Amino acid sequence: MNKKVYDVAIIGAGVVGSAIARELSKHNLTIALIDAHSDVGEGTSKANTAILHTGFDMVPGSLESKLVARGYHLLRDYARESAIAVEELGALLVAWNQEEYDNLAKLQAKAVENGYKDSVIISAKDVYAREPHLGPGALGALYVPGEWIIDPWTPIVAFATQAKLAGADILLNTAVSSVTIGAHNTLHTNNGDIDAHHVINAAGLYSDEIDGVFGIKDFTVIPRRGELMVFDKLSRSLISHIILPVPSSMGKGVLVSPTVFGNIMLGPTAQNLEDKSDSGSSEDGLKFLREKGRKIAPELLEEEITAIYAGLRASTEHSDFQIRAHQNNYITVGGIRSTGLTASMAIAEYIKELLVNAGLSLGAERDLPRISMPNLGEAFTRPYQNESAIATQSGYGEIICHCERATRQEVIDALDSAIPPTTLGGLGRRTRAGLGRCQGFYCHSELRKMLEGK
Amino acid sequence: MKRTEVDVLIIGGGPAGLSAAIELKKSGVKSVRVIERERSAGGVPRHSFHPGYGLRDFKQFLSGPKYAQKYVAAAIAAGVQISTSSTATKWASDYEIEVTLPTGLETITARAIILATGARERARAARAVPGKRPAGIYTTGSLQQSTYLEDLDIGTRAVVVGAEHVSFSAVMTLKHAGVKTVAMLTDKKKHETVGIVRWALGLWYRFRLITECEIIDIQGDKRVSGLRIRRGGKEILIACDTIVFTGNWIPDNELARRGGFGIDSHFKSPIVDASSQMQRNNIYAIGNLVLPIKAADKCALDARAVAKMVAAKLR
Repeated sequence: MNKKVYDVAIIGAGVVGSAIARELSKHNLTIALIDAHSDVGEGTSKANTAILHTGFDMVPGSLESKLVARGYHLLRDYARESAIAVEELGALLVAWNQEEYDNLAKLQAKAVENGYKDSVIISAKDVYAREPHLGPGALGALYVPGEWIIDPWTPIVAFATQAKLAGADILLNTAVSSVTIGAHNTLHTNNGDIDAHHVINAAGLYSDEIDGVFGIKDFTVIPRRGELMVFDKLSRSLISHIILPVPSSMGKGVLVSPTVFGNIMLGPTAQNLEDKSDSGSSEDGLKFLREKGRKIAPELLEEEITAIYAGLRASTEHSDFQIRAHQNNYITVGGIRSTGLTASMAIAEYIKELLVNAGLSLGAERDLPRISMPNLGEAFTRPYQNESAIATQSGYGEIICHCERATRQEVIDALDSAIPPTTLGGLGRRTRAGLGRCQGFYCHSELRKMLEGK
Repeated sequence: MKRTEVDVLIIGGGPAGLSAAIELKKSGVKSVRVIERERSAGGVPRHSFHPGYGLRDFKQFLSGPKYAQKYVAAAIAAGVQISTSSTATKWASDYEIEVTLPTGLETITARAIILATGARERARAARAVPGKRPAGIYTTGSLQQSTYLEDLDIGTRAVVVGAEHVSFSAVMTLKHAGVKTVAMLTDKKKHETVGIVRWALGLWYRFRLITECEIIDIQGDKRVSGLRIRRGGKEILIACDTIVFTGNWIPDNELARRGGFGIDSHFKSPIVDASSQMQRNNIYAIGNLVLPIKAADKCALDARAVAKMVAAKLR
């Protein structure tokens, strides 16, 4: 039985929960970061579309608009100092019909309302000059130079690692089932009780259920499935910007975007579901993606598909983020959708303010241990290309996953890290090993052996 | 970066690459080097344990690993330099290849370069099969490596997707791993192997061959629990814990494409002339990099013929 009473317990070790744990770790507080899964970032966070959003298209004045705009700068700087891959591509919102074209000016005005002033409307000729492989029929586009792409997985591990190095307890495989509210909150879990003065609910898809445990019903999570197709790296030269749809009466379209890993991604679909565990792809969804993709970039569809992912967004019936401080020192961070990655560090700052308002005494701020994360980005030097790294450790010269060119030493490093992977998926998110075009034809058994032999 | 020179550089140490290398040395070419990305040379036969290799080239009935070993031994005896755990990463120029090895980076210049990078089976995603992504999904390649090289636990009931030659090889591997094959699925009208093989193995291992069907959903959370197929408008659920995607080959054409060479739109293989030369003088493609898929011994014999021509040209 754990007799320790934590200052703060955070339920959910996704990108938001981990960012909060990191932010609070700047102070002399005792922190527990709790997750039902065996790894951090194992829920909705892992299926993010990996765009560093400026927030140009948010609802002006919303909390989401404010936190995305602030989070953009925080995460951009954090990525730089922690060696997390970012590529400054810029986005094109391509208009394929007159209605969409007419909407470009409105979108530009909205961007200004959101504090983003750098977007410009460009002609069809300029669109094709920038993107010669787009399908025919583009009438023009809104160019948003500040929309970038980012490695969506490393920030989560980086946040949690810094929190852990600063003393936070990362309690995995730990599902909260009920709470007793007394002098402090006692969370009842499958791994015993966890006592904490303050509790943060960052449980993503399950945030409404955790609210229920505390007797609160502010919103319902409506899992919205997003299916994504990832195309072979040999397609990467086809597209050089994030190609975004223009919202219109025809409904929301899909995006085509390079990834920092050197692929092209097509998606996501948007389908509301009942079942929070249904993260499979569907026949109809894949057909829809193919049709949409063929119109945007016909040559892309001739390329091989490397992977198909399906993720569930933690949407609610409300359009804005659902962040609320309740009585009993309990704060809910709900309704965080795909902008959550960009907003994560700003959400963390905001939660810290709410905690202070709730009476938490932070004490002095201290520097977090600096970390440098392994680079997974294709635009930067990777270990297999790095002569001096190989000279120090020959394992960096032994490529074990041929498709992604992940080396044996990178896998060893991940297994030896502060928060090691527990599944092949988790290993892939830390090293890219096994995520490539052959999907393990060559390295699956070797990776499994290394993971299980740990 | 280390710089080296060689007469002929061969990328890929499977039956085709090794057979070409041996022939080049026999034909008097001074220096021949094979770059192999796996930890040992030999290619796919290394993890294909059933017999049937070597009929045409060695006039013997060998298991895959024995066959692979024979080629490796012959290459070493012939004086071929084999670098394993070494990956050709890019073209530094028309006749230079950059390689990553455990000892560092190396740029190799060659008078002739032969690509023998082989082919792989299309994985589940490349076939756009919908459904969940639980554990228990393999290709024949990953299944054989898990079973024979690593001795990992596989499962109990398997469905094999595809009815090509290699699909029956997967059935045999499953049997070896103690897994029962319950069905073999194909979208084609019939199987694509030799009739007698299908008949004998179907009888021996007792599985159903279901033709003209498509998989519409893979089920299971942590572990595969089954799959749904559609055949003639009807949907059928098959319970299983293992799915093996077999055949449906794609050449490992990355190096060829990155070099800017023309690619066949159907097979996705580099375009070659009658002498197996790609669209640049003294750059060749051999073996299963040039589809359609061929048996190992056929690849080896063809490679031998190409090597003879290459040697004559370099003289």
